Amino acid sequence: MEAEKYAGKILILATETCAYPGADAVGQGHQSYPANTYLLRVKDPVLFPEKFYLDCFAKGVAGIIIMSCGVESPYPGSYEALARRIDRVYPLMKAKGLDIRRLRLTAICTVCTRAFVNEVRQMHDLVSELGPPGRE
Amino acid sequence: MAKKKKKTEPAPEAKVGVYVCHCGGNISDAVEVDQVCQHARRVPGVVVARDNMFLCSDPCQEMIIEDLKSGLVDRVVVASCSPSLHEATFRRALARAGANPYVYEHANLREQVSWVHHGAAATEKASRLVAAAAAKARLLRPLESIRVEVQRQAVVIGGGVAGLKAALELGERGLAVVLVEKSPFLGGQVAQLQRLAPFGETAAEVISELTGAVLKHPAITVHTCAEVEDFAGYIGNFKIKVVRQSPAGAVYADRLARLSRSGRGLGEYVPFVGVMPAAIPEGREEFDLEAGAIVLATGFRPYQPRAGEYGYRDFPEVVTLPELIRQLAAAEGAGDTLVLNGRLIRQAALIHCVGSRQIPGVHAENEGGYLNEYCSRTCCSATLYAANQIREQYPKTRIFDFYRDIRTYGRGQEELYTEAARNGTLFFRFEAGEEPQVSRNPHRTSNPLLVKVRDVLTFGEELEVPVDLVVLAVGQEPNDIAHLVENLKIPVGADRFLQEVHPKLRPVEVSVAGILLAGTCQAPFDVGETCAAAGAAAVKAAAILTRGYVELDPFVAEVDLSRCVGTGACVEACLAEGALALVNLEVEGQMVRRAQVNPALCLGCGACVAVCPENAINVQGWTLKQYEAMVDMIVSDEYLEERAEG
Repeated sequence: MEAEKYAGKILILATETCAYPGADAVGQGHQSYPANTYLLRVKDPVLFPEKFYLDCFAKGVAGIIIMSCGVESPYPGSYEALARRIDRVYPLMKAKGLDIRRLRLTAICTVCTRAFVNEVRQMHDLVSELGPPGRE
Repeated sequence: MAKKKKKTEPAPEAKVGVYVCHCGGNISDAVEVDQVCQHARRVPGVVVARDNMFLCSDPCQEMIIEDLKSGLVDRVVVASCSPSLHEATFRRALARAGANPYVYEHANLREQVSWVHHGAAATEKASRLVAAAAAKARLLRPLESIRVEVQRQAVVIGGGVAGLKAALELGERGLAVVLVEKSPFLGGQVAQLQRLAPFGETAAEVISELTGAVLKHPAITVHTCAEVEDFAGYIGNFKIKVVRQSPAGAVYADRLARLSRSGRGLGEYVPFVGVMPAAIPEGREEFDLEAGAIVLATGFRPYQPRAGEYGYRDFPEVVTLPELIRQLAAAEGAGDTLVLNGRLIRQAALIHCVGSRQIPGVHAENEGGYLNEYCSRTCCSATLYAANQIREQYPKTRIFDFYRDIRTYGRGQEELYTEAARNGTLFFRFEAGEEPQVSRNPHRTSNPLLVKVRDVLTFGEELEVPVDLVVLAVGQEPNDIAHLVENLKIPVGADRFLQEVHPKLRPVEVSVAGILLAGTCQAPFDVGETCAAAGAAAVKAAAILTRGYVELDPFVAEVDLSRCVGTGACVEACLAEGALALVNLEVEGQMVRRAQVNPALCLGCGACVAVCPENAINVQGWTLKQYEAMVDMIVSDEYLEERAEG
C-alpha cells in the first residue's frame, strides 16, 4: 500500500539553453505534470561527477532525470562526455542496490513539451512502483 | 582566473532576503504565498521573506534596493516568473543598490509551479524551490561580468515588410545591415495583395517605398535567394553562414513568369510578385556574416485549405481570399456585375475563420496533425474590405457573409463592418462545429454552388444560399522555419509562431539574447502592426549595436589554488581548446604546477568540474557545492514543519 502512495522526489537537471526553456514552455501551455519534481537549472549536466548522483540517492532523491541538449549541446563534446559518465554511474548504482532506471539521461529541447511531460510521468510512475531508493 | 585566496564556505554574515511574487494571482492563485514566506524564514541564512503582488514593479524593486542599502540583506532570492523574463531585471536592481548583481538567485514559481500544479502540492514545491534557491544564494560570491566588443552590424532574416522596415530603421541609425531573403523577391506576402485594409493604401506603394529606400541605402546590403545554413555565437558576436543559390524546384515559377510578362526589370515592383533586386544566381555561393544582433522577419503563409474543405479543389468556384484578390485585380470591370475568369458572379459567399480558431475534438486536424486554435485577427477586416470593394464596384453582385464572430478591431476597421451592413452585404452567423456546408447546387438554378448554414441570427433557421462563388477567408500560419529554429535554438509557441519572452513587457525579444522578432513570424499581424513590431525590433537591435559592448555573465571556470594539486584531469577533460592549462605558479613561496583558466576561451560548461578529485575547480556562480546545498534543501522537511515559538 505504501509503495502505491509513494511519490518520491524527482530531481530534474535541466540545461539552461534547452530543457529549462522547454519546461517553461510546458508551463506556458499549462500542461500539468506530477508536482514531486524539482528542476535545477544547469549550464550543462556534464558538470556533475558520478558521486553527485549517488549522494542524491543517498539523501533520498527517488529519481533523477538529466534533461540535456543531447548532441545539440552548445558545448561540443559535452553530451558524449556526459553519456560516458552516466554509463559509469550505472554500475555504481547497482553496487549500492539501486535500480538503474532511477537515473535517466534524456535530451529535451526548448519545444519538447510533450517529451518533457512524458519523461516526468514515466519517472513518476517508476518511482511510485519502486518505492524509496535502496528499497528495491 | 586562478585565485590564491578563496572562500569555499559561506561568509558567516551572509544574509539572504527572499522575495516572493504573487504575479497578480498568476502565482498566488495556486500557491499559498504567505506559507512559502513562512517556510523561507526558517531556512538557514534567510533574514527576511517578503511577498508582493508584482515584484517587478518599481516600488517593489525599490523595496529590495532599500533592504540591500540598509544592510538588512546581502544576498537576494526572487521567487517569481521564469528567470528568462526577470532575472536580468532584478540583477540590475541589485546593481542600482550598489550591490554585486551576481549575489542573486531566482526561483521559478510561475512557469514551473503555479501554471502546472495546484493545491498543497504546489505550495510545498514552491517552498522547497525557494529554500533551494536560498541555500544557493548563501554560497554566492560577488563576480565581475566579462565585457566583449560588439560587431556593429545587424543581420535581418526575411525580406517582407517587417524585414524591410527593420533594415531601414537600422540603416537610418547609421548601422550596417545585411538583409537575407530566401526567395528571389522582396515584399513578402504583402506583395501578394492589392489594397490594404482598412484604409486602402496599395501594396505597390508600401512595398515600392520600402524597397526603394532599402536598395539605395548605402548601409544596407541585400542578398536574395539566400538562406542561413549555420549559426554560432552569442549576443554581440553572432556568426552566420549563408548559402546563396537558385531556389530548388518550381516554387517561384508563377511569380517569375508574371515578372517576365510584366516587362519590368530588376528593382521594379510588379503586382503579385514584389521586387526582384538581383538576378537569380547560377551556382552556389557561401559566405559568412558577423552580427551583433539578429532580427527575425520570416513572416507567415496563408492557410492552405485541405482538399474538400468547404469544397476547396472539389469545385473551381471555391477560392481563398488571396486568390480572389488576384482574380479581382484581373477582373473585367465595365459592368455592374463582377465577372471572374469569364464567369458572371451574381452571388458570392464569404466564409470566415477558415483555418483559424480550430477547436480540438470539433475540427479535423490539418496535415501535420495540428490545429490552428488562434484567431488570425486580420481576415475579418480583409474579408469585409473585399466585400465592400465588390459591392461598390459591382452593385449587382450580392454578397453573403458567413461568420462565427466579426473581429474588426482597431482604427478604421469597425467602419468596414458598418459599411458592409449599409451596402447590403447579408450576414449569417454560424456556431463552431456547424460551419457552412458547400455543395454542388442540386436545384436547377444558374448558380453552381449551394451554401447551407444553420443561422444563429435567425434563431437556428436552416438556410440555403445559391451562389456563383465561395471565398474562404483563410488565416495566417507561420512559415516553415524549422531549420532556423533548430539552428538558433529559439522557442516556438504551441501555435507554432516564434515565442517572445513576454507578450507585454518584452514583446520583440526571444530567450536568446540579441535575437529579435519582427512581424508575423511571431503572431498574425496586419501591416501596421508589423511595421510597429519591426520598428521596435530595430530599435532594440540598435541599442545593442550602438552601445559598442555587451557584458556577459562571468560564469566561467575558476581554480581554487588552496585545493588544486595539479593532477591535470581538468585540462584533459576541457572541451574548449586552450581554456585550461597546467602552468608553473608560485603558491605560498613554492613553484608548483597548477591549473589555470583562460576566461576568454572558457565555455563554462563544467566538464572540468566533474573530473577534479579535489573539487578544486568550479564554474563561478554554478558550483558543485551550491548544487549540493540545493539538493539538501529539496529533500529536507525541517523548514516545512511547524515549530513552537520561543
